[in-house]
Amino acid sequence: MAASQRKLQEPQPAFVLHTYPYRETSLIVEAFTRHHGRIGLLAKGARRPKSALRGTLLAFQPLLIQWGGRGELRGLHSAEWQGGVPQLKGIGLMSGFYLNELLLRFLHRDDPHEGLFDLYAEAVSALATNTRIAATLRRFEKFLLGELGYALTLDTEAGSNNPVDPGASYTYVIEKGPVQIRSGDNPTIELSGKTLIDLSSDNYEDPVTLSQSKLLMRHLVGHYLGSRSLHTRQFLVELQQI
Amino acid sequence: MKTPSSLEELVEALRRLPGVGPKSAQRMAYHLLQHDREGAQRLAKSLGEAVERVRHCDKCNNFAEQPLCELCSSTRRDASVLCVVEMPGDVAMMEQAQAYRGLYFVLLGRLSPLDGIGPKEINLDRLVKRATDGEVKEVIIATNFTVEGEATAHYIAEMLTARGLKVTRIARGLPVGGELEHVDSGTLAQSVIERRPVD
Ligand SMILES: [Zn+2]
Repeated sequence: MAASQRKLQEPQPAFVLHTYPYRETSLIVEAFTRHHGRIGLLAKGARRPKSALRGTLLAFQPLLIQWGGRGELRGLHSAEWQGGVPQLKGIGLMSGFYLNELLLRFLHRDDPHEGLFDLYAEAVSALATNTRIAATLRRFEKFLLGELGYALTLDTEAGSNNPVDPGASYTYVIEKGPVQIRSGDNPTIELSGKTLIDLSSDNYEDPVTLSQSKLLMRHLVGHYLGSRSLHTRQFLVELQQI
Repeated sequence: MKTPSSLEELVEALRRLPGVGPKSAQRMAYHLLQHDREGAQRLAKSLGEAVERVRHCDKCNNFAEQPLCELCSSTRRDASVLCVVEMPGDVAMMEQAQAYRGLYFVLLGRLSPLDGIGPKEINLDRLVKRATDGEVKEVIIATNFTVEGEATAHYIAEMLTARGLKVTRIARGLPVGGELEHVDSGTLAQSVIERRPVD
C-alpha cells in the first residue's frame, strides 16, 4: 500500500472542467485527463490567498498535473501551467461551459478517451478566438457521441447501403439514421441530404448545414441525456429573457 | 416518537451553517452551554435582531437596516458611476483602496452555468433597473477574475451596453510592487495577452 501511494505518475496532460469550494481553503477539482479520463481531485489549500494553484487551476487552460492515491477523490500534488491559450471570454466562454457540462454529464470517471481529449484541446483553442464557434461545437458533439458508442450514420440511408441523396429531404431516426421524408410526414427534425453529407465530413461552410445540424445535435444530445436537462442551455434561455 | 430535546434542536440548528457537520455542531453546542452561557445569550439575541432588521438596500442590494444603506444615501458620492461587485466584502475592499467615489451594486453571487446559477438567482433584473434609472452614466464591472466572474461580467456588459450605458471592466495584471519571479503563470500569461502601450 505504501509503495502504491508513494509512487507518483509522470505529470499528466489535463484540463480543469469545474471546481467546487471544499472546507475553508480547499477545492474539489473535476479534471479531464488525457490518459485517465475524468477524475476527481482534492486540491488542499488551493483557495489560500498565496496559493500558486489559484492562478493555475483555471478551466480551459492546458495543464500538466500529478496526483496520488486512489478512489473517488485523489490528492492533487502539482499542477503546471502549459500556456498557449488565452482565457476564454464572451460567447466562447459560454460555449466552453457547454463543452464542460457535456463531459461532466457523459463521461464516467476513470474512462480514458484520448482522441476526445485531443479534440477538446483543439476546440478550446478555437473557442479562444471567438470565431467559428458553431462549427467547433458541432464537431465536438458528433465526436463525443461516437466516443460514447452512439456513432451516427450520416451518409447512407437507414437500414440500407443507399447513399444519401444531397437533393432529398430527410428526418433522422435515432440509432438508425437518415430516413427520406415522404409527403404528408411532419417530422420534428428535417435535414437536407446535403447537410447530412456535410456533417459526415465535418464540413460546416454552409450556413444551412450549420443551422440544420445544430437542431439535429440538440435532439441527439437531449435524447442521450434523458430527462436531465443541461444547465448551460437553460442558462442561455434565461439570459435571453432579461 | 420522541420530540427532540432543546439540545438536539440546537445541534440541528447549528448544522445549517456552511461547513458545519454533526460533530462540529455538537462541539459548538456543548461549548456554548458548558463554558459560555453569556456568549450563547448574546448570539441568540444578535441573531434574532439581525434576522428581524437586516434587509437589502433598495439601490445597491447590499445588506442594510434602512431602505437605503449608508453609502447609497451619502451626498458625497458620484451618482453617475456604478461599480458592480459579487459580495459585500468586495465593497469593503474597494472602499479601503480609496480609488473610487461612485456607488455600488452588490450581486450577492455570480453566474455559474455549471451549477445552475442563472440570471434570476443573482438579481440581474434589479441591476438592469438600477443602472437604467437615468442617474448612472458608467458601469464599472468588478466581478472576480474566475471563469464564473468573467461570464458574469460578459453578460452584464452585453445587457447594459445594449441599453446605451458605458460599461468598463477593472483591469487585471501583476500586483503592484510585485516581482515577476513570484507571480503565478496564469496571471503572467494573461498580462502579456492584455499588454498595453507604455504612455
Ligand atoms: Zn445601498
